[in-house]
Amino acid sequence: MLDDIDIRRLILLSAARDAAAFEQLYQRTAPVLLGVAFKITGRRELAEEVLHDAFIKIWHAATRFDPVATRPVAWMATIVRNRAIDTVSRADVARVSTLDDSEGALDRLFDWSASSEDEADQAQMRHWLRGCLDELKGRERQALVLAYLHGLSHGELADHLATPLGTVKSWVRRGLQSLKHCVDSCMGVS
Amino acid sequence: MKLGQSPHLDALCGEYLLGTLRGPARARFERACAQEPRVALRLQHWQHRFTPQPSEAFRMPPTPPTWQRIARDLDLRRYRQPWYARVGVWRGWALATSAALAVWVGVVMIDRSAPAPAMRPIATLASGQGGAAVVASLSDDGRWLALAPARPVEAGPQQSYELWLLPPDGSAPVSVAVMGQLGTQLPVPAALVGRLQAGAKLAVSVEPAGGSPTGAPTGPVILVGAIGAV
Repeated sequence: MLDDIDIRRLILLSAARDAAAFEQLYQRTAPVLLGVAFKITGRRELAEEVLHDAFIKIWHAATRFDPVATRPVAWMATIVRNRAIDTVSRADVARVSTLDDSEGALDRLFDWSASSEDEADQAQMRHWLRGCLDELKGRERQALVLAYLHGLSHGELADHLATPLGTVKSWVRRGLQSLKHCVDSCMGVS
Repeated sequence: MKLGQSPHLDALCGEYLLGTLRGPARARFERACAQEPRVALRLQHWQHRFTPQPSEAFRMPPTPPTWQRIARDLDLRRYRQPWYARVGVWRGWALATSAALAVWVGVVMIDRSAPAPAMRPIATLASGQGGAAVVASLSDDGRWLALAPARPVEAGPQQSYELWLLPPDGSAPVSVAVMGQLGTQLPVPAALVGRLQAGAKLAVSVEPAGGSPTGAPTGPVILVGAIGAV
């Protein structure tokens, strides 16, 4: 898996305008991040466009990266996802994605294991999140995973699940609420 | 109403991270993140807990032109250290030299640790509108330039700052460096060593990411100051 400590070091060096470190950061993370973008755009050339824009943003945002508060790989993935969602929200973008909503997608496409380099609280957080996803109702979990993985809007979710828009919106809303409630209670926050 | 006080703040953070917050609502949320620390903190809280780690199992190596475009658009060449400034090169050179000397004359101790260059202020760059000034200092050997702003100032996400030398003869400005922030220490380009002299001026302009696309300042000049006696 991508080692958060190593990626964090490369982001901080990039913030100090070390171009060689930035190139290394790209080499280490681009294949995984292109996969993230492709799951949303469904088209390779669009995904590479998203990757380009995201790395321009990462170079600039690196100076504001907070090494204490932020998980580096998740931070980069969030920048890529946001860019991909902006891209597919444009009216002129036609998507031909194959949606992966099998039950196994969660474990194939995300890494829940704890590596030895992980800070203990991050490993714990991952463990809780995975457990809490399992506790969601089936339809709520499916809606959240599809939306996250493929960047589907409420409308696209409703089409794909052949369910009225209002119902899908409430699955998403309730799913997020339950997830937050579950993780908070694992952490001992009331 | 400010989003920070909204009872839906958690729901908004969740839907933003999930990607289902779209259109004007998404734009409004992003604006609030930039303007309201409470919203930004709440989102960071969500990000920390609810963003799963992407798996390495699904990898798609990008095609080479994508990196080439990134490097070109950011003009990364400007940030690369010349070969003679890299520590590794000197370390390798030192090792080879030490080994050679040891063979020739036995054990030789070499102390070449140079002291950090002494920096002397040469100019105060100001906006002319009463903003905080930036002090420019030059190393005694003229090879290093440092900029020290009164408080940290970083370029926006789509911007870089570019430092220019305005020659005393009024000829075209010469680019000294492209910077992501105003507080920095940078090597003076070899062609400009010795030219940061009294009579010339230093100026900072705001440019697109990676620096001026034309080689001349294109954006607003935010700081300028004359170089005093060096």
